Amino acid sequence: MEKDKYYEDLSLILNRSHKVSIVIGLLFLFLVFFCWKVQILDHKKYWNLAEANRTRESVIMAPRGLITDRNDIILADNTASFKASIIRENCRDYDRSLAEVGGLLEIGPEDLRTRIAKYEALPPFRPIVVKDNLDLKDVSLIESRRLELPELIVETDPRRYYRFGSLAAHVIGYLQELSGLELKSEAYPERGLGDMVGRTGMERQYDSFLVGTDGRRLEIVDSQGRSRGEISRAEPTPGRDIRLALDFDLQQKATQLLEGREGAIIVLDPRSGEVLALASFPTYDPNKFITRFSPQEWMDLINREDHPLENRAIRGLYAPGSIFKLTMALGALNAGVINEQTSFFCAGSVNFYGRPFNCWQRGGHGALGLTDAIRHSCNVYFYNVGRRMGIERIAESAELLGLGAKTGIDLPGEKEGLVPTPEWSRSVRKTDWYAGETISVAIGQGPLVVTPLQVAVHVTILANRGRGVVPHLLMSSTSSQGRPSGPAPSHAAAEKVRADIFETVIRGMWKSVNEEGTGRGAKVDGFDVCGKTGSTQLISRERAEKLGKEVKTHSWFAGFAPRDNPQLVVIVLVEHGGMGGATAAPLAKELFSLYKEKYD
Amino acid sequence: MIDRRLIENIDWFLIGLLVLNSLLGVVVIYSASHYVPGNYHVRQLFFIGASLLALFVLLLVDYQVLMTFSFYFYGAVVFVLLMMLVFGRFISKGSWIKLRYFQIQPSELAKIALILVLAHLFAEYKRKHVSATAVLTSSGLVALPFLLVAMQPDLGTAVSFLPLLLGSLILAGLRRNAVVWILLLALLAGVAGWNFYLKDYQKKRLATVVFPSRDPQGAGYHILQSKIAIGSGGFLGKGFARGSQSQLKFLPARHTDFVFSVIGEEFGFIGVVGILFLYYLFLWRLFRSAGKSRDRAGVYVTFMVSLMIAFQLLVNVAMVIGIFPIVGIPLPLLSYGGSSLLANYLGVGLVLNVKMRRFANI
Repeated sequence: MEKDKYYEDLSLILNRSHKVSIVIGLLFLFLVFFCWKVQILDHKKYWNLAEANRTRESVIMAPRGLITDRNDIILADNTASFKASIIRENCRDYDRSLAEVGGLLEIGPEDLRTRIAKYEALPPFRPIVVKDNLDLKDVSLIESRRLELPELIVETDPRRYYRFGSLAAHVIGYLQELSGLELKSEAYPERGLGDMVGRTGMERQYDSFLVGTDGRRLEIVDSQGRSRGEISRAEPTPGRDIRLALDFDLQQKATQLLEGREGAIIVLDPRSGEVLALASFPTYDPNKFITRFSPQEWMDLINREDHPLENRAIRGLYAPGSIFKLTMALGALNAGVINEQTSFFCAGSVNFYGRPFNCWQRGGHGALGLTDAIRHSCNVYFYNVGRRMGIERIAESAELLGLGAKTGIDLPGEKEGLVPTPEWSRSVRKTDWYAGETISVAIGQGPLVVTPLQVAVHVTILANRGRGVVPHLLMSSTSSQGRPSGPAPSHAAAEKVRADIFETVIRGMWKSVNEEGTGRGAKVDGFDVCGKTGSTQLISRERAEKLGKEVKTHSWFAGFAPRDNPQLVVIVLVEHGGMGGATAAPLAKELFSLYKEKYD
Repeated sequence: MIDRRLIENIDWFLIGLLVLNSLLGVVVIYSASHYVPGNYHVRQLFFIGASLLALFVLLLVDYQVLMTFSFYFYGAVVFVLLMMLVFGRFISKGSWIKLRYFQIQPSELAKIALILVLAHLFAEYKRKHVSATAVLTSSGLVALPFLLVAMQPDLGTAVSFLPLLLGSLILAGLRRNAVVWILLLALLAGVAGWNFYLKDYQKKRLATVVFPSRDPQGAGYHILQSKIAIGSGGFLGKGFARGSQSQLKFLPARHTDFVFSVIGEEFGFIGVVGILFLYYLFLWRLFRSAGKSRDRAGVYVTFMVSLMIAFQLLVNVAMVIGIFPIVGIPLPLLSYGGSSLLANYLGVGLVLNVKMRRFANI
């Protein structure tokens, strides 16, 4: 009681203080409960998020297999290239960082947005390539801003490099990035976003072979995206190399010869069907497409009027012109409608079905036999042969010699061409076949169209005296690589045609080159070249005269050498090249000479 | 000046808990910052030593004397805060005054001045319920530094003045309809604050407490990273200095405001409960100290100090586990920072002061 005099009664406020402290205690319990929820109940979820934060899985791109010529000269190589990627989860302010990155790499913000949008499905820690083929200036610029822009990183990748640029571009093909649509199509089950795939040529044909297995790298990264060490690493397996049958020198020569023209050259070995050179002009530099982003250049190429992307050797459809006289000669001899001694008189023009058909030699060739008709490429002679044979037997001979059908070469996109028949006319053209058309077809005009490669097979069958080949680019001799897939070569001609008939036709071809025939421009001393020229009219002579301007003919030469045991077949086609003997034959001569120098 | 009996009555248990918690803080600060320059753990040790010294110096002076001068302290603090706003560009950066060797945060020390001034105000207030005049006076006293600090802008520290006001009013006795009024006023202030005061980033933060994963790269990022840290710690934690979220810097403000997340990640649920338990002991002891006060002012001082620390603790933890907006309130004693540490030590010093002088000088 003594105490109370000095101590006031504080029980009321102490009671209030006590109540508040109980509330605080309850709040403590609530916090513990919440920690329990986050740490125990939701542990798995946050653990996974933490793992995703701290680790980054990245792909180590496997280099593609090399593509070499037959003598191991590397045509398609790999080099290191730098690429800039964005890691979205490191963007603090998405819009601002897009603007900054765009400014740094000189990409428009909309462009950048579309690039990134393509990969939306990827987890946010996966880098998305926004620019590749960086030069060193770009690389150092990015590295210097590492801290300000943790979302932007530089990676290195092996990149396809075509050492000789446009050389053999149509054979080798090019790579492009897989589109989202293709990835969904299940055509590329092993591929992911951002992978490159062969689009044409060897790159496409042997894509599964050339492509390696990408490696995987699991790294620890900090919040800036910097690597703090590797957890695991699976090394990439490089793709397998392939060796092509191409001969670098011949290929280079063929390309040089076509420079400035439009056309195609094919050189192949008739013994094996190995393609030693296959050039199409105009051409393009496949290195340009390796960059993931060059839509403008790409569109420019697609829209160019001379179609540099087209491989004219296998996709160009041309009337064979006088080359077809070989087909006619062989077919006619085999059908027995003529023999080697059969001769016709050429007066420069002949009337059939009430209509004149001209010979290219306006004055006429006079009377000549089969081999001289081939030698001088006399139209009138073959008009007569064609009339005797009829369209059915002409078509039969053309098909026997490989025209109007795919050759089966290991290049994607080959075209079939057309050997017309009355049946075709009725079912496709919906008109009857006119007898006059047979006369046109007899000299390789009319609806008849073939590819230069078909002509190469045709000439090969003649050179081999009936034995066919399937032309191929992959060297068949190396066992480590896959064999070129495709049909087995047809030897039907050898079975159906007597050997001496081949000799007769070949004699005509030999005369054409070596006895002042139309093919004399292809003559090579000591190499016994046999060949045939062709000049295909695009419009009739009468119409050209009416138009008052000269439309130059396509210029063909098809030949082989030597006459006995042939070693190579050369096909030259120059669009609007003029007369075959004047333009195409001299180009073929260069190739024959080069081959002779190199291999004799 | 200080006799033996006073020393005998120093609550060594409370000091022990205070220092233990602070030292545990140093351990966590080390774990969260040893890989960056700054030696924060060493500095924090220095701060602890200095604060402890300040605490003992404070014990020398009777809290009654301190209260007599409380209006001078209050005036000085308000003056400094005002100067910071006016000449802010030259002497300070945000809430910090930069001195030659270190920087101090006057707003932290304002809490102590407020506690003293409020205790002084209510020292002789013996009515059963608080009067309107007292409410207005005390609110005015708190509102002035509150506004000055909020304009720095340091919303977190400003907000931590409010429990002092509310606490003293609760003790003085709030009528039921007064509570209604206060809630109404708070609502009004909230609406006004949202529209006129809060910056966009602060609004975003508030919004992301409700939807933390809506915008993981933006405002919700810090909350999410903190929750990931705590959640991934699980029951036992990842081990000392082995939390990927903190070591790889995914966690923001690891050694300051988010130090609790580091504890959650590296020491798990066990560590969290352990720390909260130590805190609970500490706060329980603080609150219980009110009963050892010889007078009304002492109860007010003790209660407000306890509430101040409890409020910061609860808000900080609620903030890092994502149930409260991120307002920049540190975890008392454990977070790195000298000013906050000093304020809390001085606060505990006041409680000890009250407690050791519980026997009236007859």
